[in-house]
Amino acid sequence: MQSIQGVGVSLKHQHFQAFIDNKPDVPWLEVHTENFFSQASTSSKYLAQIRQDYPISAHCVGMSLGSAATNCPVREQHLQNIKNTVDWLQPGLISDHLSWSASGDGHYLPDLLPIPFTEEAFTIVANNIKHAQDVLQRQILIENPSSYLTYVDSPITEWQFLSSLAKETGCGLLLDVNNIYVSAHNHGFDPLIYLDNIPLNAVKEIHLAGFSTENIEGKELYIDTHGHRVCDDVWRLYEQAIKRFGALPTLIEWDTNIPELAVLLDEKSKAEAIISKVIRVKESSVYASVINGQA
Amino acid sequence: MSKLAELQANFIHDCLSGPLTPDNTLMANDIDTQNISAQGLMGIYQNSAIANITNSLSLSYPVIEKLVGSDFFRAMCKQYIVNHWPTSGNMDDYGESFSSFLAKFEQAKHLNYLEDVAQLEWLFHQSSLAHDSRHFDWTNLEKVASSDTLTFLLSPSVSIMSSTMPIDKIWLMNQINAPENIELSLDGDSGTFIVLFRQGLKIEMMTVVASEFMFLQSIENGHDFEVAIESAKAVDANISIDHYLKKYIELGVIYGFSV
Repeated sequence: MQSIQGVGVSLKHQHFQAFIDNKPDVPWLEVHTENFFSQASTSSKYLAQIRQDYPISAHCVGMSLGSAATNCPVREQHLQNIKNTVDWLQPGLISDHLSWSASGDGHYLPDLLPIPFTEEAFTIVANNIKHAQDVLQRQILIENPSSYLTYVDSPITEWQFLSSLAKETGCGLLLDVNNIYVSAHNHGFDPLIYLDNIPLNAVKEIHLAGFSTENIEGKELYIDTHGHRVCDDVWRLYEQAIKRFGALPTLIEWDTNIPELAVLLDEKSKAEAIISKVIRVKESSVYASVINGQA
Repeated sequence: MSKLAELQANFIHDCLSGPLTPDNTLMANDIDTQNISAQGLMGIYQNSAIANITNSLSLSYPVIEKLVGSDFFRAMCKQYIVNHWPTSGNMDDYGESFSSFLAKFEQAKHLNYLEDVAQLEWLFHQSSLAHDSRHFDWTNLEKVASSDTLTFLLSPSVSIMSSTMPIDKIWLMNQINAPENIELSLDGDSGTFIVLFRQGLKIEMMTVVASEFMFLQSIENGHDFEVAIESAKAVDANISIDHYLKKYIELGVIYGFSV
């Protein structure tokens, strides 16, 4: 299994050739597992070449872990497809979202639909995570999605729900700092409280991305599009996350309006600079306390 | 049905319902509507799902998008999606019927080549996903007795199609670095016969004459060699089968046989 450390970037098909030809200095890459279900495809052949030089993390978008449907062939088939791809790819990390996509009547919406944070939903999601980990034979990371609505019956917070899931199932957490920021704006909570209430050892990866804004009935909502640079507020929140959780593997995620690779690499440099700054400050504070102790 | 299952059934209903009104939005009692109405909130998810599916269609049909423009393409996709919601998370399988939808799409009926160009793009997409084929076994072919019934096999990445339109040229003209000297006439044609096949990472598009096409189509339909020869000779009595057979085996279009 490959080691995932430092700041990686999303691998998109527009950049396949650049990674093969130029081998830019990136410690790891993340792919959407669903794009490589056919290991015979041309995309998989490119990935087979690229993974010789880069560790890969597998990010899934369709396990539908929040789906209440029991005996759901759509979801089981999807999980089996993921297993086949993961067995081939041997990624350093595997992740999916706290969301659902598949309904019991055979429909599948390729989106990260929100779940209510109820006791019933907790049992269902926890069982689905345990089942996925059993099938994949390893730990998966669960990511907080952006959301645009809240449920009337949702007695606990997202961070409480996620933290309890990690404890109950042994899954890790993937914190998308942009998604925390987007949901905090849309639902009016403090993103720092979110960060402060996530258990330190549960987080294994961080995502950074951009969002867009949309005016709905006179209210400005932030919409998670993964099609822009990371905004300044999210960089500041990321710094707080690194202070709390340490220098975790971080991904510059980009899914729409794919720019030149140089843009992703530029964002990567910014994240690396923040990690360096936090480490520097920590080291000087340790140094100061040692010196003061000696004095 | 559990409470969550019921809620998710209502959620799907609202996403699939088209324009939402206070009367048809089932989620109205389940979500917080203090700042934005239930229709507004569910509309975000409805639009987001349609946008994600449209992005998937855009990957499979880039030439169609280029031909009609991005805005028109997105509008067409929306019409298609609301009548063809995905039934699996494997989006590689989604969009096969887009070409037949385009044939009936009233606002694009005057673009009578769209259906066939879309069909060609779907075949490109399928070819990109297909398994590689093994090398042709010449040694065993030599052992086949003349009395045996021989049936050739096309490689998994091979697709063939015909059109009354010059869709190969339309496709080529809409590629990056397209040749500048392509002459195009849409005033009827004697027919375009296309063979797609993958070599390494590249999908090759080859136009062939009618007799070759009939030969390959007969093989694709599972007919034996004798029937394939008859199909080709019905179009061109002088066709050199030996020449074409060797050519297609060397290109990897024909990869095997059964006796």
